[in-house]
Amino acid sequence: MIDINVSKEVLVIGTGSTGLAASEKIAALGYKVTSIPFASDNDAGAVNLERVLGCTGDFKADLTQKGKRTTTTFGAIVAAPEYTKEAMNKEYGLKLDDKVVTQTKFDEMLETDAGIKGLVNGKGSSVAFVSGYGQESCPENAEKILKAAQKVQSLDQCNAYIFVKNVKVGAPGLEKLFTSARHDGVLCFKPEIKPEFNQSSKELVIKSFEPVIREEMEFSPDYIVIEESLKPNEKTNALKTILRIDTDFDGFYQSNNVHRFPVMTNRLGVYVAHTTGDATNIALRIKDLLGNGTIQAPEDQGVVDPEKCVLCLTCYRCCPHGAIFWDNEAAIISSVACQGCGICASECPMDAIQIKGFADTSMKENVDKAVDSKKAIVVFCCENSALPAYNTAKILGNDLPENIRVVHIPCAGKVDVEFIWQSLVNGAAGVVVAACHEGNCKSEKGNTYASWRFGEIAKRLETIGINQGKIGFINIASNMAGDFTKKINEFAQKL
Amino acid sequence: MSNNTVMVVGGGIAGLTAAWELAGQKIKVELVEKTCFLGGHSIGFTCKATDQCRQCGACSVEQMLANVVNEPLINIHLRTEIKDFKKGKKITAVLDKSDVDISNTGLLKGFSQHNSPMYVAGDKAASMPDGAVAIEKLGSTGEVKVDAVILATGYSPFDPKLKATFGYGEKKNIITGLDLENILRENSTLVRPSDGKEPEKVAFIQCVGSRDERLGNLWCSKICCPTAMRMASLIKHKKEEAEVSIFYIDIQNTPKEFPMFYENVKNEISFKRAIPVDIYQIENDRLTLRYMPEENSTPLYEEFDLIVLSVGITPGADTKPLSEKFEVALDEYGFLSNSGEGVFTAGTAKGPGTIFDTIADSEKAAHETMQYLGVI
Repeated sequence: MIDINVSKEVLVIGTGSTGLAASEKIAALGYKVTSIPFASDNDAGAVNLERVLGCTGDFKADLTQKGKRTTTTFGAIVAAPEYTKEAMNKEYGLKLDDKVVTQTKFDEMLETDAGIKGLVNGKGSSVAFVSGYGQESCPENAEKILKAAQKVQSLDQCNAYIFVKNVKVGAPGLEKLFTSARHDGVLCFKPEIKPEFNQSSKELVIKSFEPVIREEMEFSPDYIVIEESLKPNEKTNALKTILRIDTDFDGFYQSNNVHRFPVMTNRLGVYVAHTTGDATNIALRIKDLLGNGTIQAPEDQGVVDPEKCVLCLTCYRCCPHGAIFWDNEAAIISSVACQGCGICASECPMDAIQIKGFADTSMKENVDKAVDSKKAIVVFCCENSALPAYNTAKILGNDLPENIRVVHIPCAGKVDVEFIWQSLVNGAAGVVVAACHEGNCKSEKGNTYASWRFGEIAKRLETIGINQGKIGFINIASNMAGDFTKKINEFAQKL
Repeated sequence: MSNNTVMVVGGGIAGLTAAWELAGQKIKVELVEKTCFLGGHSIGFTCKATDQCRQCGACSVEQMLANVVNEPLINIHLRTEIKDFKKGKKITAVLDKSDVDISNTGLLKGFSQHNSPMYVAGDKAASMPDGAVAIEKLGSTGEVKVDAVILATGYSPFDPKLKATFGYGEKKNIITGLDLENILRENSTLVRPSDGKEPEKVAFIQCVGSRDERLGNLWCSKICCPTAMRMASLIKHKKEEAEVSIFYIDIQNTPKEFPMFYENVKNEISFKRAIPVDIYQIENDRLTLRYMPEENSTPLYEEFDLIVLSVGITPGADTKPLSEKFEVALDEYGFLSNSGEGVFTAGTAKGPGTIFDTIADSEKAAHETMQYLGVI
């Protein structure tokens, strides 16, 4: 291990309640916090983040304010994203006006005397809330609807109706709120098919099949309240690129990967705060990372040979942890940020990168050792999943084929085409690459790289007419020894 | 090294996470677990990945357990409970061996390679497997002095026998969601309890003990819909011909990307909005389930090989006595409230939550404890 100095300054992007909570908790630990607004484009005086270079512990951030640019070094960066609320009226074929309003607008009405007066209006109003047909609803929206509906129901001669596909009560207090709203007289309809809406200057009409009375019902409310959805926006998209962090399928921070929850991202030192509760967790993670400004990191975790490196930047592009940068001579791997997965080493077209403990020479020796007979089945086991599963299988005394030979790899992303090939050339009976499940790779895409390379080998075998059954690719979870045993036995039997 | 010691009560994912976080800031931990194994309910959970990881969190529990058992600052007391507790300048807790019912089989087995010992044997154990320890050897007694306490005592799964018409425990091949987790964790293929055969037709019944005004359980347990969907998809993945139905009130799908997953599983799983009325045993240990379909008022009868009751999260059996002992208030349903003086709470002892909710909450509780101790 070597001592590395890191910056004790932290950049927090977001000045909403979540961002401020994060700033406060981090500052309380003695780190200097720079807090900038998340969406600052609209405000000419605000600070904007334009670019981030460098790496964990030593991020170089370009901040601009009124056209003036400064570069500041930060040890860690926190993003508290602010997504955009979008009205879902188009999903229902409705136009927003005085009577067809968003949940936000309606909640504002309920806050003012004029709004309440408008609803009561001598003869009362009927209000229909619609949700869950333009998108799957969520507990946050359900809570807003239920609270507003209950409030409407309490007003003189007013009635609230809810049209919803599924009542999302999966959060504290919501089932109770739902029950009490029903007891107060709020009617909830749950048609399976989206109701039909008709909007004219005279009236609003909702036509729906009512599943409880099993009849078509037609209903003319005075107001329709439309659900809203949260959407990623230009700013969240831009910032994800600047910070080089992954999002989930829907474009929200961070990737849908168990190794990231609740506040981590694919890059060590970049954290995501979605709730004020996340702030305390982030503070602890930053304390772990930055400590008192000097931290220990493994020496030479990943090493680039400057003689071989041609600065093609393949490694920079494929590193899932954003741990690689470069100077004028060669790529540089940050000892702090590198997770040792080895994807870069296997992808490097010049073979210029070696990973500590898994250098090409020692990997080749291990492969040679593994093929100790013509019966040997070489199993490349990722240390995050298949290796612990294999170890458990041994401890539990599972019935594994005697001829399997396990080769330890840091991530399936470190399995080179040539390691598989070498196993076959040495005469192994079979070769298996045992990786994490898609979406569970600690290095995001190590298993994907491995499956591409595996496909490459399969094609070659096909071309030269060798049975492709000799090679196998399996996905294993770290806690599933039984799955490991079953899949390895299935492979062995097919040979 | 800090001079503080914190007692963490409960060795499930909440207690493990809290202990690990405290040790990370060089705080000594006395981790007290009532049963013979660490990991709580969730260490017995199966991986629910099909071609893809479904983010259930089971492997995260395994990882946290490995972290904790390899951490020298965490002192583990298995089969131990708190007999007495006194607040003062230091908090004094009197530990005692807990009662563990081992009479059934005489032998208990852990789920994880990190459960050490792996086997615990009683007097009636027929054999002593490698690594087995006699139960009398487990358990701590005597006083420990600590500076703060985190209560992470978890939940009790709803007892499905309280729903008499389902006949859990009487009829064959009616299991709970937890039973299903454990069967898959152990066997990797789904087998019926009665004959070890793979079921062709499986039903999940949601909201067993949750969202039930009559029982006074006015909460949604939050975890059961995502779990049932993941399980249903896993069963289909393992056996393509299998037919799986989910009987539900409202589908809850809060995890990331779940709206999309829900749309996808609709193509292979049959969702039925009805809570079945009752269940009858028929030939070949199969079951007939009677329910009122949404479409008309004629009851339908459908046969299944296996029925899974998605039992909800209810306040832990120890929650009430612990709340009195440690002077932490209960909420209206019997879950622990947030915190007391020097006594903090974490995880599902406070109410329903997923594995990741629990991890996040326990990290927060550890942070609060460190602030209280002045460590950070």
